[in-house]
Amino acid sequence: MKKFTALLFATLLSVAVSAADIGQPAPDFTATDINGQAIKLADFKGKIVVLESFNPDCPFDHNHYATGAAQELQKEFTGQGVVWLLVNSVSPKNSSHRSPAQAQAEWKKLKLAATAWLDDRSGDLGRLYGMNTTPHVFVIAKDGTLAYAGAMDDHPRPDGDPRQAKNYVRAAVENLLAGKSVEIPKTKPYGCAVHY
Amino acid sequence: MRKFLTSIGLLLLLVTTAARAAHTEAQLLLAAEQARPGDTVLAGIKLTMEPGWHTYWKNPGTAGQATSIKWTLPPGVTAGEIQWPLPKKDVVSDIITFGYEHEVVLLVPLTLDKSIAPGTVNLGAKVSWLECNESCIPAGTDVEAGLEVGSEMKNSTEVALLEQWRAKVPTTDNKFAAHAFWPEPATNNMRELRLEVDWVTPAATMHRTVDFYPDASEDFEIQADTKKILDSTGELDFTKSVKKFSGEWPAKISGVLVVDDVAYETEFPVLETKSSVTPAAVPMANRFVEPPPSLLKMLLLAFIGGLILNVMPCVLPVIALKILGFVSEAKSDPAHIRKLGFAYTLGVLASFLALAALVIGVKAAGHKAAWGMQFDSPVFIVCLTTLVTLIAINLFGVFEVTLNGGTMDAANKLASQSGAGGAFFNGVLATVLATPCTAPILGAALGFAFAQPAPVLVLIFLAVGTGLAAPYLLLSWNPTWLKFLPKPGAWMEKFKMAMGFPMLATVMWLLSVASSTYEKKVVWLGVFLVFVATAAWIFGEFAQRGRTNKFVAGIVALVVLAGGYAFALEKQLDWRHPQTPTAADRTQPDGIWHAWSPEAVFAARTNGHPVLVDFTADWCLTCQLNARTSLDIDSVSNKLKEINAVAFKADYTHFPDNITEELNRYNRAGVPLVLIYPADTSAPPFVLPELLTEGIVLEKLDAAAK
Repeated sequence: MKKFTALLFATLLSVAVSAADIGQPAPDFTATDINGQAIKLADFKGKIVVLESFNPDCPFDHNHYATGAAQELQKEFTGQGVVWLLVNSVSPKNSSHRSPAQAQAEWKKLKLAATAWLDDRSGDLGRLYGMNTTPHVFVIAKDGTLAYAGAMDDHPRPDGDPRQAKNYVRAAVENLLAGKSVEIPKTKPYGCAVHY
Repeated sequence: MRKFLTSIGLLLLLVTTAARAAHTEAQLLLAAEQARPGDTVLAGIKLTMEPGWHTYWKNPGTAGQATSIKWTLPPGVTAGEIQWPLPKKDVVSDIITFGYEHEVVLLVPLTLDKSIAPGTVNLGAKVSWLECNESCIPAGTDVEAGLEVGSEMKNSTEVALLEQWRAKVPTTDNKFAAHAFWPEPATNNMRELRLEVDWVTPAATMHRTVDFYPDASEDFEIQADTKKILDSTGELDFTKSVKKFSGEWPAKISGVLVVDDVAYETEFPVLETKSSVTPAAVPMANRFVEPPPSLLKMLLLAFIGGLILNVMPCVLPVIALKILGFVSEAKSDPAHIRKLGFAYTLGVLASFLALAALVIGVKAAGHKAAWGMQFDSPVFIVCLTTLVTLIAINLFGVFEVTLNGGTMDAANKLASQSGAGGAFFNGVLATVLATPCTAPILGAALGFAFAQPAPVLVLIFLAVGTGLAAPYLLLSWNPTWLKFLPKPGAWMEKFKMAMGFPMLATVMWLLSVASSTYEKKVVWLGVFLVFVATAAWIFGEFAQRGRTNKFVAGIVALVVLAGGYAFALEKQLDWRHPQTPTAADRTQPDGIWHAWSPEAVFAARTNGHPVLVDFTADWCLTCQLNARTSLDIDSVSNKLKEINAVAFKADYTHFPDNITEELNRYNRAGVPLVLIYPADTSAPPFVLPELLTEGIVLEKLDAAAK
C-alpha cells in the first residue's frame, strides 16, 4: 500500500512537471474552498485565472498581505473579471495549517479580496501544478492555457514595500487583458517551502 | 476611521510577528584580541539554532533566504565577503534547500588599514536571517565586539572554533579541470547537464558521493538529483537536471563540488558538446585529487587482509608446516617458542619489506608495478619450483636440512629443524607463496598502497605482513593455547610425510604457471626436478646417513644435480631465455569467453549487452578457484546466454600494461578482479568480491540485465 501511494505520488509529480507548462492547457482540477464549495477550473473557461500558493504564516506571503499590496491587486483584478484563487496546501500535520473556520476568520482579518481560498490540505492541487514555494503564482489565459508561472515579483524578501517592486503577476494579467501575449512568462519563484 | 482600523490591524499583525521570540542566537566572534594596523582579523558570526530550526546558505535553494550581515565599522576597518561553510542539503520532493542546523559560523575577514590609530575599535553588525522549522520567521539582531589595535597580534580564545569552521569552507585554489556540456536538447524548460571532472583515479570516485551545490541564480535552478555515469573512456561524469526560468541556457555554472564531505569552489564552463580532450591528455597536475581514504582504515584493512591470507589456498601448505612446528615445540621452553614466533614474524616482515622495496624500485624506474609481479619472472618461478620440490622431499625424509652439514642425533635434529633460522625461512616462504593470492579485503588496501609515496607503501606492506604472522605470533606468545594440539610422538613423522603432498601439489601449480612461459617445454623443468630429487636422495642416503665414502657420495649428488641442470634446464629448456608469448598468442577465444580489450568492452556495451569481465592470471590461485566454482560453470554460461551478455577474460599472467591500468582504475594492484557491467551504459559496473560464489555471480548478472 505504501509503495502504491509512493507510486501514485510519483505519477502525480511527473504529471505536474509535464502538465504545468507555458502555452499548454493548464491541468483541470476540482477543489473545495473554505466555505465548503466545490471549485472547478473548467467553470472559469473564458476568464483569466490566477492561482497563488498561499500560506499566511510564511514571512514572504505575510509581507505581501500585511502591507495590503496583494489585496489591492486582487481587488483591482477581480473587479475586471479575473478569478484569483488562493491555494493553501499546508498539511494538517503542520502548525501553519488552517481549519476552514480559522481560514474564514483570517479572510476577514486580512480583508482578502481573492475569489476563493481553496483548502488543498491533501496537497494534490499544489503538486499538480508543481507549486514549490509560497508565493508561487500561475496565470491561466482565457483559452485555458498556462500563460505565466513563477514569482509574485522581483523582490524576494520578507520585508519592504512590494508596491515598489516589479510585479510579474500584474504585468502578465495586464498583458492578457490587453489581448497581448505575456512578455515574461516564467520567473524563478521564491519564498517558503510549501509544507505538503 | 476605516483607514485607522486597517492600520491598527496591520500594527497588530506586525506585533504578533515581532513578539515571537527568535529561535536563533547570533554572536560576533573575533580570532584576535589585539591586532596591528595592516592585519586581517578573521571574524565569525556564530548562529546557534534551537533543535529543529535551520538558517540558510548563500543559495537558499528553492525556498528560504540567505542570512545577511550589515557591518557598522569604524573608519579604517573593511569587511570582506562572507565565507560560507559547506551547508547541509535538504530535499523534500521537488523542494531543495541548503542550510545549517544547530550551529554555524559565517566567516568574514576584517582588514585593518595601515593608518588606523592604536586603541580599541568597536565592530558592529546587523545580522538578519530567516529561520525555519515547520514554518519560517524572519529575525535579526545587532552584534558587536571590541578589538584592540596595538603593536602585536594576539589570538583570542575563539581562534580554534573559527579555524574549525574555516576548514568547512569550500577550498578555492583548485587546479583541476572541470567542464560541462548538454548531451541532449531541452525538453520544455528542463535539460540534463553533464558535468565532467578530470579525476586522478576515476574508479575510486565511483564509490564516493559526488554532488554539486550551485550558486544562486534567478534564471535557472539545479535540481537535487545527481546521477553518476561512466563515459566511454571510463571517466566518471555526473549529471544534474537544470530547470530554466528565464534567459538562455547558462554558459557556465558555478558553485561547490562536493566529493564525500570535502568541498571545492568550482566553475564549470558549459560547452555545446562533450570536451574533445581525452582524459589521458589532461596533465596529472590538472586533475582532481580525491581526498585520500584514512590511512588508519587502510592499515586495518591491510592487517585483516594479511590475516585472511593465512587461509588462502596458496599459503595452506605452509600452514601445515607451521602446525607441525608448533606440535614439536609444544613442550619446549616458552621462551624458545617465543623466539621462534618472533623469527617467523621477522621472516614475514623482512619479505614484505623486500617486496615493498621491489615495488618502490620498479615504480622509481618508471614502470608499472603490480602485486605478485615477481611471478612474471621465469627465473623466479624455476627457483621457487625447485625450492618447493626440495621442501616436499625433505618432508618425506629423503634428506635432512642441517646447518653444519654433519649428522646429528634425534634431539639435535629436532632443535635445528625448528631453530630460529628455520622459522625465519618459514616466514619468507609463507610470504612468497602468499603473493599470488590477493585475499579479500587486501585488494583495496594494496590498491591504495601502490598509489602512495614510499613510506606509506612500506607501512601498508608491513601491516599485511603483521596480519599474516599474527596468529603464530599470538600462539607462540601464549603457548598454553597450544594445549589443544596433540602430544608429540611417533605420529609426527607420519604427519610430516603427509604434509609433503600439499607441497607437491604446490609444485604442480608452479609448473602450470611456468607452462604459461615455457609452454610444452615445461616438461624439461619436470625432468630437472627428477634430477634434483635424485641428487637429494643420494645426498641424504649416502652423504648424510651413509657410513663410508660420504665425501664421494656428496660429489656424486653434486654431479647429478649439475648434469640435470646443464641438460634439462640449460640445453633443453634454455630457462634463462624464455620466449614470452605475446598477449595475442595467449588470448584465444575459449568457449563463451572473448579476449578482453577496453575497446571490445565499449563496443559490447554500446550494442546493449551486459558485460562480464574476469581479470585473471595463471599464477593467481584465487582466480582459478573462482573460475572453477563460479565462472566456468553451466549455470553461469546459461545465464550469460539468457541475458545476452558478453563475457571477457583479461589475462594478467604476463602483466600487460593496459590491464595494469584498468586494475588501477578500480584501485587494485592485482587480480582477481571480476566486473559486471549493467546493460544500462550510464551505470557503473558492479565490482564483485574477490572470492566468488555461484550465487553472487548469478545475482549480479540478473541485476545487470535490468
